This record gives sequence, C-alpha cells and structure tokens, in this order.
Amino acid sequence: MHGWIGRCLRVNLTKNDFKLEEIPQELMDKFLGGRGLGVKILYDEIDPTVNPLSPDNKLIFVSGPLVGTGAVTGASCNVVTKSALSGTIACAKLRGHFGAELKYSGLDMIIVEGKAEFPVIISIMDDKIVIKPALEYWGRTTSETENMFKSSLSDKWAARDTYLLSIGPAGEKLVPLANIINDGFLSVGGAGIGAVMGSKNLKAIAVKGNHSVTVADGNRFVQVVTTLINKLNSAPLISQSMSSWGSAFLVGLCNQKGILPFKNFQSSSFEESKHIGTEALSSAFVLRSRGCFACPIACIKKVDVDNRFYKGKGMAPTYMAIGALGLNCGITDLTNIGIANMICGEMGLDPIAAGGTIATAMELEEKGLLTKDSLKLDFRFGNGEDLIQALTLMATKKGYARRIGQGAKALAEEYGHPELFMGVKSIPLAPFDPRSLQGMGLHFVTSNYGPHHLYAYTFIDEVLSVHEKLDPWTTEGKPEFVKRLQDITAVVDSLGLCNWSLMGLKFNNFIPMINSCLGTSYKAEDLLQTGERIWNLERQFNMRAGFNRSHDILPERFYNEPIEDGPAKGQISRADEMLNDYYKLRGWDEEGRPGNELSESL
Amino acid sequence: MARIKIDHNKCTGCRHCEIACSFNHVAGVANPRRARIRVFREGATYFPTIAGPFVDAACTSKNDLIIGDQTYDMCLICRASCPEKPFFIEAETDFPLKCDFCGIPPSPSCVRWCNSGALELVED
Repeated sequence: MHGWIGRCLRVNLTKNDFKLEEIPQELMDKFLGGRGLGVKILYDEIDPTVNPLSPDNKLIFVSGPLVGTGAVTGASCNVVTKSALSGTIACAKLRGHFGAELKYSGLDMIIVEGKAEFPVIISIMDDKIVIKPALEYWGRTTSETENMFKSSLSDKWAARDTYLLSIGPAGEKLVPLANIINDGFLSVGGAGIGAVMGSKNLKAIAVKGNHSVTVADGNRFVQVVTTLINKLNSAPLISQSMSSWGSAFLVGLCNQKGILPFKNFQSSSFEESKHIGTEALSSAFVLRSRGCFACPIACIKKVDVDNRFYKGKGMAPTYMAIGALGLNCGITDLTNIGIANMICGEMGLDPIAAGGTIATAMELEEKGLLTKDSLKLDFRFGNGEDLIQALTLMATKKGYARRIGQGAKALAEEYGHPELFMGVKSIPLAPFDPRSLQGMGLHFVTSNYGPHHLYAYTFIDEVLSVHEKLDPWTTEGKPEFVKRLQDITAVVDSLGLCNWSLMGLKFNNFIPMINSCLGTSYKAEDLLQTGERIWNLERQFNMRAGFNRSHDILPERFYNEPIEDGPAKGQISRADEMLNDYYKLRGWDEEGRPGNELSESL
Repeated sequence: MARIKIDHNKCTGCRHCEIACSFNHVAGVANPRRARIRVFREGATYFPTIAGPFVDAACTSKNDLIIGDQTYDMCLICRASCPEKPFFIEAETDFPLKCDFCGIPPSPSCVRWCNSGALELVED
C-alpha cells in the first residue's frame, strides 16, 4: 500500500473508548481518500436527518493519500460532518502541518463519535492514544490551547514536533458560525463544524508520530515533484502574485472587474481601492511567507510591522478576510480587518459566516429595521470598532450578541426581512458577486457545501484565464465548465492537495505525480469520474437531509437588482436559467435528484 | 569547498527539504524523522538545521542566539545531536544521522526542493 497508511482510529467519546481499524482497499480505490472517503463513511454511518449537535452526528478527520508524501501542496486534511449552520454535509479543509503529522502518526483517518461527559483532548503521541480530560483548556483561545498543551509536555523537543487542531470559545458555546483552527490557520469552508466539535466536548486533537509514508516509485516521484516545483515557479500568478501577497492580491483585480462586494452586496465597486490594493498591501506589510506542509507557493503571510496602513502582528488578512470581514461590511481600514481576522482565528469563528452575519445586521440597521435597543450593539457600515466588538461578543455568546451568533439567515428572518440574507443554504456567500461571475453564481447555488468559492474556483478561468479564457458575463458553456471544475476540486481535495496549485498547474500535470505515488495507472477521465461519484454522493446526502431544488437559489437581490455602478454595471445573475442544463449534465432529474442508476453506482 | 548556506529569513517552514532528504536516503520513504535536515519553529521564525556530528554528552557552555530584538535557544541551530537534543537519530535503528551532501560531487536534494531560497549551495 503506497501513499496510504490504511489505518483508521475510531474514538467513541460516550464510552471513553477507541479502537484501530483497517480501511478496506476497495473504499480507497473507489473514493481516493480525504474528502471522498470521509463523505462515504458519513453517508453510510449516520442518518442525514440527525440533529448536527446531537451525539449521533459523527466528526471525521481524514488526510488524503498524497498528504505527507512531499507531493507539491499535499498538506490538506479534510473534516467531514453534518454542518450545524446549514444542515447540509460539511467538509472543511485544514491547512498547515496537521494533515501530514496525522499520516506520520500512523493514521489516515480519525472518526469521532458520541459525546464526552466533560471536555477532553484526544492525544496521539508516538502511537500512544489517550483521551485526556481538558477542563483547564475549556474557554481558552486557540493559540492559548496550543501553547498550554505544548508546555504540558515534559520533552520540549517532542513539543516542537506536535501539531494541534482545536476549537475556540465559539465552538465550545455551540455558536453555529464556529470553525476549527490548526497551527493558527483558519480552516477553509469550516462554518458549522466548530460547534459540532464543541457539542462532543472535544477541545482539541494533538498528533505526533514516527511512521513513514511510502511511495510506489520513489525515483520517478522525486523527478515529477521537481518538475512540478519548477512549473509552479514559471507561472507568474503563483511565483509573483501569490508568493508575494497571498490571495490578497485579488482585491484590486476583483475591484477592477466589479466582483468585489461592498456593503452586503449592495454595490460592487468602491473608490478607495488604493488603500487596499496590492500597492497598499506591499507598503503596509513587510511580508514574511509561511508555507503549509510541502508547499512551494507559501501564500500565507505574517506581518510584523507598524505603519500607517497596518498596526499589529499576526497573519496578514487574505482575500477572503478583506472581502468578507472588510469591504462587505463597508470597512476599508486594513488594521481593523487584520484585527477582526485575528479575533476569528483566536475565538474560532468562520470569517465568511461571521462577516456575512455582521453585514446583514449592518444593512438592517442602515434601513432602520434594527434599533440599538434590540441588539444593544451598534452596526454601522464602515465602522471597524462595531465589527470587532460584535465578533468578540458573538464568540463568547454574551448578552444580546447571542442572537446574532445564530447566523445571518436567522437574524434576517427574526427581523422579518429574509431577503436581506445574502447566502445559499443558510451560509453567507464568499466575497464574489455572482452577478458579474456567472459561473461562480451557478456554483454557489449548486454547491453541496454552501456558497464557498474554493469548492470550484471558477475565478481562475473566468477572470485570470489560467487554463482557458472565459467571459465572466456569459452563461454559454458555463454549466459544463462548473461541473468539470467541481469534479476536479473533489479529486484534488480527496487526494489532499491545495486548490491554489490549480492557478499554476493543469489537472493533467498532477496525473504522473498521483500515479507514481500510489502505484496506479489512473487517467484524467478515471479521476474525474471518481470526482463526479463523490459529488453525487454528497448531493444524495443533502437530498436525504431534506434539501431539494428549492434550496438551489440565490437571494432575490442577485436576480432582480442589476449592479448599480462600476465596471459590471447592469449585470444580473442568470444562475436560475443555467440550472436545468446543469442538472441534465449531472444526470439528475428536474428536481435535482440523482437518478436510480447513479445511486446504485455509488 | 561547497557548503549549504541557510537564510532563515527566507524559510517558510514548509519542510519540503525534510522530505527531499528522506527520499534521497531511503528510497520511496517520506518521513521527516529520518531526514538529515530539520526545520525548527520558534515564534514566527523557522530555523532549518542540518545534521552534523553525533556527540554523546551535552555541552557545558551555551551562548544565547540574538537576532534583532529576540533571544533564541542556541540548541535551535546547533547541528549536533546530543542527549539534550535527541534529533538526527534514526528511530528504528538508533543510528546517528549526518548530512552527506547527497554524494560527490555535492548535489543536496534539500536545496533542489527548497523553493523559498532559504537553502543555497555555495562554493567558498
């Protein structure tokens, strides 16, 4: 067995017990691993209608077969469960070094079941598996948890090789917007997962190990990886833009194209972009790059300067943070955005879900629908202090913030204006305006995980023209394109690679790396078929959980209100027109149900 | 003589060098604990450290490592493996590991995979 370890740890927190299991070869061949395997296990083992916060829900941490082998960008560990925010299936992508260390500790997957009586930490150190009481960790922020755990180890050198994932106070208090944090990185698409972990009284998981991961053809694999590193280097988007500023370089570009949402998607361009584009970023941050495991791109930026744009230390905000916590709330001050992003990381909140909620509250207040008395907090567009205060209170569920902590949809409904919630399936939209990116719009409505851009990054072709040049405003050919990209992403996630690598590499470039690592002879079509199988299985789960065509819909604003100004003036979303074609391509019926044949082939 | 120059300011902590080393010395096996280069993290800084000679006693005098306004533990950049710092010892065999520049002429695999420019092969 290559790439794979082939072992899984099943922890039952109710019984305070665990056992090691073999993973059947058949499952690995059929679902690749990572996201695919996690989805399959969840589909088989839980009832999709279960309450996400009940002990019957399961939490699956699973690393892909390429993670830890040194495959370029092979670092991602997926967390699969039923989301507490949306009720759909959820799959977060953990960055950093946790996924690789999980493999080195001799495991591909951890399945967490039940609910512990009191807070616990699962510690897997050099093959010694312990479920430790963690009362003293409860209430701590994520970085405190990490430091406390590491300093509790007697061997300080072993502590350097230990990697942790944890939830912050938000997850403990079962705030549905909570996320999981590892190595200081917010997980991608993790809204609703932190609360599930909190409901199990599981504070953290620590891993360290001495096991090896083997590859099938070592010499060939080393050659292929060397070629891919050079290829990534010759792609200007990767070697110049991503490596210099991280995804934040997209801010200026999106503003030029009219994609950048402003004030809860009320407009799509803003004039002060010079304060927030790449020029401002490079003068604001003396950027120090941080890479996830085996990543030649290193898009995560650390900041350690004080200047007129940015004060403080920590992670520089990414595009997602600047868009969701900043501009969509009308805030253009990088310092406030950076602090808000840091609070999200420490408290364990998802920036897209939390930012979207606050943006909704701000629009309610702007329209006079929310008075100060009702929430006891100020929500004014563009006021960074309001944002920071709201985030902290939201995470700790203190006072009136308890109500906004329930999420944007609940808030908009509570005040009688559900149309002001900008999201799909209860999850706020990632900061891309679907009116000026038709492909992204279609992906947002059809995504099994809610409207998150990193489950099909159509942006790379619709705007950056990396693989093919597509017009962002046309709907022609978009259903095929979106389907293909969704399937590719399912494969890339399942293998444990990072989506950003698609900015510099074509999907076909990965094939030799995959085959020399796993000892298989996959062709691109075989893998795309696997991707489709995973996507259909997720869809099937959601259908059984009660989702149908009526949930594949964008908020009315995107269909009825054309963009008012800027470069994409006059555009509306035509995602609804493309939906039938998309269903047909997927082989689903008009209600969006995968047919019987498809279900049987699963 | 050729040597590997380390610039810790450029290191991103991706640990690709560890895996490159592991592959080069044990065919088809990726395992950082079998690598002759390790990256140690201290706060926001990463220190790639290359395995030197094995010593069976800890040293008696240690200097502080001062970079900018921060003071670091000297052990972080010390290349030796000692009872105080049990690195660069193969877990399965207890055999001490030492960098061999990946043969003669030197063409270290860690340098080849280091994309950040933190590791560089230089001639003195």
